[in-house]
Amino acid sequence: MPNGVRTARRRWLLLTPALVILLFAATGPLLIVLVYSFLTPGDYGGVVWTFSTDAWFNVVVERDFFDDTLSFADAHLSIFWRSVKLSLVTTLVAFIVGFPTAYFIATRPRETRDMWMLLIMVPFWTNLLIRTFAVMEIIRNEGVINTGLIQLGIIDAPIQMLFTEFAVTLGMVYVYLPLMVLPIYASMERMDFSLIEAGYDLYASRWRILRKVIFPLVKPGVVAGSILVFVPALGAYVTPRVLGGGKQLMLGNLIELQFGQGRNWPLGAALSISLLAIVMVALFVYVRSAGTQEGRHD
Amino acid sequence: MTKPRAFDVRRQSGFAFVALCCFVLLYLPIILLVVFSFNAGQSIAIWEGFSWRWYVSAWQNEKVQDATVLSLIIATCASLVATSVAVMAALATTRTGTFRGSALVFGMINQPLMIPEIVTAVALLIFFAMVKVATGYTGLWYLIIAHSAFCIPFAYMPIRARLQGMDLSLEQAAADLYGTPWRVFRMVTLPQLWPGVLAGAMLAFVISLDNVIITEFAKSAGQDTLPTYMLGQLRRVVTPEINAISTVLLAISVALVVAFYLLSKSKKQ
Amino acid sequence: MPRGESSDGARRMINIVALSKTFGSGATAFTALTDINITIRENEFFTLLGPSGCGKTTLLRSIAGFVDPSSGSLTIHGDDILSKPPYARPVNTVFQNYALFPHMTVAENIGFGLEMLDRPKSEIRSVVGEMLELVQMTEMADRMTSQISGGQQQRVALARALAPKPEVLLLDEPLSALDFKLRKEMQIELKRLQSETGITFVFVTHDQEEALTMSDRIAVMNKGRILQVGGPKDIYDHPAERFVADFIGDTNFVTAEIQSLEGDTALVRLPSGRQIAARSAPDGAVSGPVTIAVRPEHATLEAQGALLDGLLKNIVYFGTDTHYHVMTQDGSTFVIRRQNQPDAAEDHKVGEQVGISFNPGVAQVLRD
Repeated sequence: MPNGVRTARRRWLLLTPALVILLFAATGPLLIVLVYSFLTPGDYGGVVWTFSTDAWFNVVVERDFFDDTLSFADAHLSIFWRSVKLSLVTTLVAFIVGFPTAYFIATRPRETRDMWMLLIMVPFWTNLLIRTFAVMEIIRNEGVINTGLIQLGIIDAPIQMLFTEFAVTLGMVYVYLPLMVLPIYASMERMDFSLIEAGYDLYASRWRILRKVIFPLVKPGVVAGSILVFVPALGAYVTPRVLGGGKQLMLGNLIELQFGQGRNWPLGAALSISLLAIVMVALFVYVRSAGTQEGRHD
Repeated sequence: MTKPRAFDVRRQSGFAFVALCCFVLLYLPIILLVVFSFNAGQSIAIWEGFSWRWYVSAWQNEKVQDATVLSLIIATCASLVATSVAVMAALATTRTGTFRGSALVFGMINQPLMIPEIVTAVALLIFFAMVKVATGYTGLWYLIIAHSAFCIPFAYMPIRARLQGMDLSLEQAAADLYGTPWRVFRMVTLPQLWPGVLAGAMLAFVISLDNVIITEFAKSAGQDTLPTYMLGQLRRVVTPEINAISTVLLAISVALVVAFYLLSKSKKQ
Repeated sequence: MPRGESSDGARRMINIVALSKTFGSGATAFTALTDINITIRENEFFTLLGPSGCGKTTLLRSIAGFVDPSSGSLTIHGDDILSKPPYARPVNTVFQNYALFPHMTVAENIGFGLEMLDRPKSEIRSVVGEMLELVQMTEMADRMTSQISGGQQQRVALARALAPKPEVLLLDEPLSALDFKLRKEMQIELKRLQSETGITFVFVTHDQEEALTMSDRIAVMNKGRILQVGGPKDIYDHPAERFVADFIGDTNFVTAEIQSLEGDTALVRLPSGRQIAARSAPDGAVSGPVTIAVRPEHATLEAQGALLDGLLKNIVYFGTDTHYHVMTQDGSTFVIRRQNQPDAAEDHKVGEQVGISFNPGVAQVLRD
């Protein structure tokens, strides 16, 4: 089929520029990270091209400098744990705030819904650093909250909020909240509100309507929103750096630390791949749940 | 006696309140940030009167000037590159079924959206370090290419959406009326696609302008954009000068995002 | 007939041989067209008729060049066009949704094909003017296509496809989006345009009435195959297959047995034991049990003891005519349609025993 061949050739010709750029500045470098994780660290940063699996061991265990005994790499594990914990808490809080918000928007008159969603999305498309910085300005010791409370005489000394896990969580909720609202709203907008009327007609209370009718109907949106929040939270770098101030490190910061002068690049590479693996698992769960949902609609 | 309110099936008690809190939470920090950029004093919490002084001092700061110019150069180049290749990619991948290698192509295009930015950042750090040693070139193109790469999916999405919403029979009609593929593209496809292309370019521009992490890792010495400059400044004593710079960047982003939104709406008319 | 051609010797315009199209492959493969063989003559109004999904649109799009057939050949005036892209084929299409360019005016739309053919501006202007006149849209020339009504869009789509003076005009259900009255008007209009321009029309529709009123010849399609090709009267009076008889008009199916066959006339034995002459389709059965089709208006209601006997179950009044539902001995329902006369009293009652009669030759022996 000459037409078929022509179409295929044209398609790849059109795709080439995009794929070359992506190969050079996204996919290719990622493969190099994988290679680096199996190399030996150089003395002043960088790598020596000898094969080694040490970096992967170092992700979870450390070798004592003097007696060569092995022990769990507590520092790494605690940072892993903090990353997962803060990401889960962020996801939960974002759900608690985002679900009612999405519902609120979905029940507005049709003409104003887009305007409400624009209000949700505009902050999301603005600079992440600036938004994080805005949160920092509010909660720092000389920020609006502490200054206000001191001036009102409620407290004498500022409450230390900045550089705590609270600050990091608050920042991540603030930054990633729109990612929760968007998919939940999308499912709710498609929802048939006559189903709710049917529920009330069959003697359900408001709470039961919420639990037995609305929630099951928008569950795909909730799953999507949760993953959309969890994944970037887990890989967050700017927010813990600015609001955690080097004390509340997360995985992203741990990775960065390995790439300074005289640091362990292969370990950084292995940590990167580990983070990537967790994210991929989360995305896989997401794709699968989205897939089964679509299957059910057919 | 007040008349009982009609039963509203859509109401859920407390939801409106939470939603209100959500909007306050989203906007209060930004509003305070903007307000204190006009503060006459040094404080970011105590209002001491209106003044443009921090805008003036930011304007006169040579490092800010340099970073602004660099940010604009990179964002302009990256959004142009990303949008042009995204148009081609969208034309190749829209309105066809799955083809051999389609999963790989979509995976690559969407990679910047899926993979944690810090991972891409260190990957570029490693890779560009190798290339810099090999070629000796340390110029701006590393940043432009890196930005183009992560802007591609953002430019691609609205263009693809627009293409999918487009009536395929229009192009078939043009081909039927003796239009060669290139003329069909220029006279029928492109005029229809234009709002999507513009929207994609604006989104790519905003994404490039706002990027911190990848820029921080991929830049050579002395190549500071506005966001990486600000990230460096945050370690020091913060004055409302940062607020002033932030406010300008915010204004640009908000303007472009609202324009983007209006453009994407225009397809539904 | 123009150009002095006899119906058999008419010059071939489109020749389609053994054309097949399969979408996809493996388990999900879908065969849209199977072994299509048609010859479409010059200056003919040729209709592809069939239910949705029968492959008629796929066939039309194969001619236009938007579908790449899996095998077979397709020639126009002897030129193989399958290897040519759509823009190099001497055919133009009127799309089902019109596909008017929303960013161009009515005149720009009509002139588009000529512009693509790099005709001089003066020629384009004069042809566009001509076309606007032909479809009575001269005043609308500078309107945008979104500012005109559905019927007007239809006319512009027609003018746009006719402007380059194609050898063949392909029409993909062009009237389906119009309301009933407008559709009737456009049917006449289309017929007029075809005879005025002398262009061969290939028309796709699922509307049997549209096909019968407009066409010179009809090809009835089902499940990717062509079942019968013939003039409207031929197709209606002598359907070759059960599907054709059923799809076009209303029909009664009666089981019968062939007693003898001579040429295209078969002597069949009805369930009642009576025998009658019927028309037989070519390549039909030569003996044994068959199904015959009888149109409701070709049968009459008689006293008992006719060709078929039965019980009058129902009388349905339709205004122009009345339908009598008769349950025959074998339990099937036979419908008879009788034209109503002014102020004629109903002379039959539900529940009475009646007979059914029809003339020799009106029954059609079906191929399956």
